[in-house]
Amino acid sequence: MVEATLVHRSLRSELRAMLAIANKEWIIFRRYPSWFVAFLIWPVLFPLAYIFPARALAGPQGLALATFSRLAGTRDYISFIVIGTTIYMWFNITLWDVGLLLRNEQMRGTLESNWLCPVWRISILLGGSLTKLLTALFFLTATIIECRLLFGIQLLRGNLALLLVSLILLIPCIYGLGIAFGSLVLRFQESNALVLFMRGLVAIFCGMTFPVAVLPHWMQIIAAWLPFTYAMHAIRAVSLSQANLAAVWPDLAHLLVFAIVLPIAGYAAFRFTERQARRTGVLGHY
Amino acid sequence: MNYTPLSTISPRSYIRAILAIAKKDWLHFLRYPLEGMFRIIEPVMWLTPIYFLGRSFATSNGATGFAAYVGTVDYMSFVLIGGIISSYVSAVFWGMGFSLKREMDSGVLESNWMAPLPRPLFLIGQTVASISITSVNSVVVLFLAWRIFGFHVTGHLFPALLALAPMLVALYGFGFAFAGLVLLLKDANTMVDVANFMVIGLAGSQFPVQVLPRVLIPVALALPLTYGYDAVRGYLLGTRTLIPIHDELVILLVFMVVMTVAGYAFFRMIERHVKVRGTLGTH
Repeated sequence: MVEATLVHRSLRSELRAMLAIANKEWIIFRRYPSWFVAFLIWPVLFPLAYIFPARALAGPQGLALATFSRLAGTRDYISFIVIGTTIYMWFNITLWDVGLLLRNEQMRGTLESNWLCPVWRISILLGGSLTKLLTALFFLTATIIECRLLFGIQLLRGNLALLLVSLILLIPCIYGLGIAFGSLVLRFQESNALVLFMRGLVAIFCGMTFPVAVLPHWMQIIAAWLPFTYAMHAIRAVSLSQANLAAVWPDLAHLLVFAIVLPIAGYAAFRFTERQARRTGVLGHY
Repeated sequence: MNYTPLSTISPRSYIRAILAIAKKDWLHFLRYPLEGMFRIIEPVMWLTPIYFLGRSFATSNGATGFAAYVGTVDYMSFVLIGGIISSYVSAVFWGMGFSLKREMDSGVLESNWMAPLPRPLFLIGQTVASISITSVNSVVVLFLAWRIFGFHVTGHLFPALLALAPMLVALYGFGFAFAGLVLLLKDANTMVDVANFMVIGLAGSQFPVQVLPRVLIPVALALPLTYGYDAVRGYLLGTRTLIPIHDELVILLVFMVVMTVAGYAFFRMIERHVKVRGTLGTH
C-alpha cells in the first residue's frame, strides 16, 4: 500500500492537510463551550428583536396586518422574520469565522509559518471553512428545532426538495463571499468595521425583516445584486406560501449563477492577496 | 506656579488621573477612525430594517396598530429614542464591563493597579470617556436619523433629560458591578452580548412592553430601565406611560442610589477576592 505523505504532493495529501486544519479548528471550537451556548441562544433571541416590534406594529388584534400581508404574501410575520434573520445570522457567523480565519492566524503570529507549509495555501482557508460549515449546520438545526418548540412554527414545510435546493445553492454563495472577505481583510485589516459593513448590506437591502417591495427603487436595484435577496424570497415562498418550482425558478436561477460566480470570486480574491503578500512582505504585519 | 504630582494625593490629583484615563480612551477611539465611524453608522444600519419593517405595516394613516398601544403613530421617533438610550446601556456593558478585560489582554492591568490611586477611579475615568464618546455619537446618530427617517419631538426636552440623568448614574453604578464580574470570569464575551441584548429587549427599547408574552411582562416591569425608556418617551413624544410619570421618576431615583452603592460594594468585594487569589493579571 502506498502512503500519501505531505511531502509528495497529491490530491490525497491536500485532502489530509485540509482535514488536519479542519480538526484543529474543531479543537479550538470545542475549547470554548460558551460558543456552544451562544449557538443555542441566538437563533431564538435575535429574531425576537424584530418579532416584538412587528407584533407592536400589527396592533392589538392584528389591525395593521393587511398591509404586511399584501406586500409579503403571508400573514405569518413570525416565520417571515425567522427565515430572514436565520439566513442573516448564518452569513454573520461565516463572516466572523471564515472571514477572520486568516486574520486570526495573523494576530496569533502563526500565519507566516503556516504559509510555508508544502500545501495549497487555499487549503488553509478551505480546511477551516469545513469546520465552520459543520458548526453552521448545527446552528441551522438548532434554529429549526427551537422555533418549533418555542415559537410553535414549522420552518420545514412546503416542497422540502425545493427548500433543500435553495439551501444547497446558498452554501457556495455564503462561503465564496466568506473566503473573498477573509482574503481582503488580510490586506485591509480593520476587520470589525468590514464585518459590520458586509452584514449591514444584508440586513438593509435583502429584506431580512421586511418584504423587499417596500424599498425605494434604487435600493431594490442593489438588492437584486445580492444572493441573499433571492434565497430569502425562495425559502419564504416555498415554506410560507407553498410555492412550486415554476414560482421560485427565477430565484433559483439567480442563486445558481451566484453559486458559480462567488466561489470563483473568492478564489480570485485569495490569489490577489497571496500575490500582494509576496510582493509587499506584509503577511505577518498586524 | 505649584504643580500637584500624582504622588501627592489630593482631590486635584484624583481629577487629573480621571482626566488622564479619559484622554487615553479618547486617543484609542480616535486612533481607529474607521471603527469610530462605524460606531455612528452601525446604529443607523440597525435602525434601517426597523424603519422598513414599520413601513411594511403602515396604513394610509401611519402606524395605526402601533398607536393602539402607545397613543402615537410616530413609530420611528419611539424607536430612535429607545436606540439612543440603548447606546448608553451598551456602552456600560461593553465599555465599562470590558474596560478591565482590555487592560488585562494588553498586559497593563497589574502595573496600572499599582498606581497610587483608588481603584474605582480607573472605572470612573473610563466612565467619563464612555459617556462623552457615546454622547457625541448619539448627537451625530440623531442628526443622521433625523435627516434619513425623520424625528419629531413634540414634548419637553428638559424634563426628559432630568429623567435620563438618574438612569445614567444608575447604569454606570451597575457598570462597576459588571466590571467586577468580568474581572472574576475573564472571558465573558457571550455573557456580555446576551445580557446586553436581553436587558435592552426586555426593557422595550424598540417596542412597547405590552406586546411581550404574559410570562415576560413581570420581568420587564421589574427592570427599572423599562421606566427610564417609558418616562423619556412620555416627556418627549407624549406617549401613554405604563404608570404615572412621577412614580417612574421615583423608581429611577431609588434605582440610582441602590445601583451606585451596590455596584461599588460588589466591585470592591471582587477586587479583594482576585487580589487574595493573585489572579488579577491572568486572562
